[in-house]
Amino acid sequence: MTASDRDREAKPSTGGSESADASRRGFLKGAATIGVGALSGVPTAAKALEFDIEDFFRKNFRELSDEELEAVLRRVEEKYSNRYGKQVTVSANGPMEGVVFGYGLDVSRCVGCRQCVYACVDENNQSRDPEIHWIRVLEFEREAVLRGINLEDGNPYYEPDQVPQEGKFYLPVACQHCEDSPCSQVCPTGATWQEPDGIVVIDYDWCIGCRYCMAACPYGARHFNWGEPNVPAEEINPNMHIIGNTPRPRGVVEKCTFCIQRTREGRYPACVEACPVGARKFGNLLDPESEIRYLMENKRTFVLKSELETKPKFFYFYGSSVTR
Amino acid sequence: MENVKLFLQFAKGSVLTVVRGNVTYYAWLGLLLLVIAAGLVAYGNQAAHGLITSNMRDQVSWGFYIGNFAFLVGVAAAAVVLVVPAYVYNWGPLREVVLFGELLSVAAIVMCMLFVTVDVGRPEFIWHLMPVAGTPNFPHSLLTWDILVLNGYFAINWFIVTYILFMAFTGRKYNPNLVMPIIFLSIPFAIGIHTVTAFLFMGVKSRPFWHTAILAPRFIASAFCSGPALLFLIFLTVRRFGRLTIPDAALYKIGELLAYAMAVNLFFLGTEVFTEFYSQTSHTAHSRYQWFGSHGVTGIAVYTWLAFTCNVTALVIFMVPILRQSMPLLAAGCVFAFSGVFIEKGMGLLLPGQTPDMLGEVYAYGPSLNEVLVGAGIWAIGALLFTLMVKVASAITRGEFRYSPTPDHRAPARGF
Amino acid sequence: MSSDQTGPEGPSPPSYQLATWVLLGTAVVLVVSLFGVRLEQRPETTRDYPVRAQVPDALAVLMPAPPMSDEYMPCSDCHAEEPANRTPRELEDDHDDKKLAHGDLWCLHCHSADQRDYLHLADDTLVPFENSWQLCTQCHAKKLRDWRAGVHGKRTGHWRGEKEYRTCVACHDPHSPAFKPIAPKPRPRRPEEIAGGSSAIGEHAHDGL
Repeated sequence: MTASDRDREAKPSTGGSESADASRRGFLKGAATIGVGALSGVPTAAKALEFDIEDFFRKNFRELSDEELEAVLRRVEEKYSNRYGKQVTVSANGPMEGVVFGYGLDVSRCVGCRQCVYACVDENNQSRDPEIHWIRVLEFEREAVLRGINLEDGNPYYEPDQVPQEGKFYLPVACQHCEDSPCSQVCPTGATWQEPDGIVVIDYDWCIGCRYCMAACPYGARHFNWGEPNVPAEEINPNMHIIGNTPRPRGVVEKCTFCIQRTREGRYPACVEACPVGARKFGNLLDPESEIRYLMENKRTFVLKSELETKPKFFYFYGSSVTR
Repeated sequence: MENVKLFLQFAKGSVLTVVRGNVTYYAWLGLLLLVIAAGLVAYGNQAAHGLITSNMRDQVSWGFYIGNFAFLVGVAAAAVVLVVPAYVYNWGPLREVVLFGELLSVAAIVMCMLFVTVDVGRPEFIWHLMPVAGTPNFPHSLLTWDILVLNGYFAINWFIVTYILFMAFTGRKYNPNLVMPIIFLSIPFAIGIHTVTAFLFMGVKSRPFWHTAILAPRFIASAFCSGPALLFLIFLTVRRFGRLTIPDAALYKIGELLAYAMAVNLFFLGTEVFTEFYSQTSHTAHSRYQWFGSHGVTGIAVYTWLAFTCNVTALVIFMVPILRQSMPLLAAGCVFAFSGVFIEKGMGLLLPGQTPDMLGEVYAYGPSLNEVLVGAGIWAIGALLFTLMVKVASAITRGEFRYSPTPDHRAPARGF
Repeated sequence: MSSDQTGPEGPSPPSYQLATWVLLGTAVVLVVSLFGVRLEQRPETTRDYPVRAQVPDALAVLMPAPPMSDEYMPCSDCHAEEPANRTPRELEDDHDDKKLAHGDLWCLHCHSADQRDYLHLADDTLVPFENSWQLCTQCHAKKLRDWRAGVHGKRTGHWRGEKEYRTCVACHDPHSPAFKPIAPKPRPRRPEEIAGGSSAIGEHAHDGL
């Protein structure tokens, strides 16, 4: 990494500098100089506001032709490569034939360590400050859970020295990728929808930030960029998917995508690999040999808020009859 | 062609009318402009840093702005309800004042749209909602419906008041065959905007506090309280400062209407409270938060009881004949009804609906100073708009601002 | 509309107007209910993706067991000379760092007393340390079934493609197999703690409107 790369990384959120490459490609950039740049006396150091006419008038992701999509991907790659000073790849990998994703979480094993939370943050380029977590782990009194889970009893802010604590029960919650997703039903712009492989995604460039989906989501899975999102350049994950973990602008909603950039390549989501107790399971619901189908058929499972008939594809299960 | 020329003169005369006035008028405008300026500065702050300048967070993601929106849709809808007795039942005294109702609707709708705009994270992309340019999720998203009916309602009211005033300006009779159907259309539209706004919340099955069939009727009932109450207070003011004759009979009629509306409103509230607290399901958590607070957060409960007290006091004033005959008491009742409904339908709807949040967390939301300033700015814009429109309307109805064949027409509209 | 203004001269009889009004309202309701039927379905919203090539099915890959501690291995270094004491007892001089917390098991239930560098099954079949899972599954047969299916234990790699399995000892210390408590990662910030670092006015009004 060169020194100039590091300079650029120092202020990752203010945006990339005008590169020769960018102008060669004929991008229309409205550059505005900010006082900080003028102080340094070097015009090239002036931070350019990332305003791109083509991006502004981009069509909804679902309506882009293959050529237009390709152009968008290259443009986004360029933008983020400049901003973070490292080579970024942005794909738009489509779903696989005959695959609908399902997720399993073994509540009899979860120890509430939050490794998944931070693996997710790293993988999916969530804002560090203001903080956004796609996964929220609730701690319950085991005794209370024996009478059924009442989410009001949950506490996401537990911080003992060690977990699991005696007599506690942990329940991580993220997007449940509902088959009848209330969020996509209410979205006024059609900026969020369910893909053929069951992943509920958001077109971050199409979302206007009205937050109706957040009102509608029964699982508190959707998170809003209240302020300018901030990911240190050295921590950015350069392996991106356009409707997955590309850095979000301020004022839009984001949520778990089952790590679409990984799972559409056949890989496990980051949280599955991070879990130290192997409580997290993932696979193809249409494949009778998959681990998700096995656990649905052989274990006691439940879904959150089943009475709402959202038909989640996120199944909690009891992998062990003796829990800890 | 003749009409176009006349209309240009009408527009020019209107501008001349609104820039002239007495000291009170200028002081009032100055105050409004000051508040608007403060609102603009606050909105600038929000635009620069994002909605993080508000106290809304993921746990309570709709707050002060959407609360005001829901309330103002009610005001917009109910201002037109006076049309029903005035035209359908041809009740004279109210006919005089219906125009003000229409004007209030126009101002309220503008405020509604502004409140939605400031609540949106990326207002520059609002065109994504538009047909052709964007991809509106119609008919699935109730928000697209709301935008449709609000714009329709705005267009209807704007047309009616402009047309009627323009005809009055030219001294011609307005064409009842044109106006009547549109006025009739405005009635289902008035009910429609409020029903659709209620559906916006009622359609959210995951929020039991909103997901209740009584919400739309409650919206309408409470709107019939807040809208006429505000109109009543405006009439009193206009009578005082605007040298307009508004018959007492019209004001008492509004008081009578308010008695029915408030009674029905409180009855609907009672049915909701009974359902929640008698059955004590997990859904009751939201009502419990509303009336008593939970997890040590009781701020909202104070306001809930305050609103309830306001509404009951207003009902007593409107119902008891002796009290109802006193104009100052009626005015006080209107203040109570307006504030009661403002709390109940703004924050009283939004906050308990989202608290506890989807995962059971209680976040004690209260608007930030920045939010309040932006909101105040929008109210001031609405008040300014309404003042200017009333200025023109009253000048025309007083006959001071009238078409004159001489080209250098001056509108001698002084005073407010 | 002042009194000298002419409104509609006698407007048509109220009943006629009411009828118009009711008709319009009914029309609106009808339109709403028609759309209501459509509302029930979720929007058809997905991109036209090109068909993708199939990725190979899951392929189990066994990850090597974690290395054994050098301190004790190989066992025969110390144990070769001594005759085995087969009486179950609390160990005092050596191996006292190993807390046995695995049911009622004792060393020689798993370790072979005759072939010190081997483990043994219940039927005395010798098993090398690398295949220790064979011992575990004698009792934990159900776990073996779950593990084979990918449901017990941690998996990494690919849900489709190379799927990395780990044997029991990768996660469980056979001498005390229960999961050892670990320090949790930091708790999420409360909504009150997420403040606009640079917002000029955005302070919190707690508890109240």
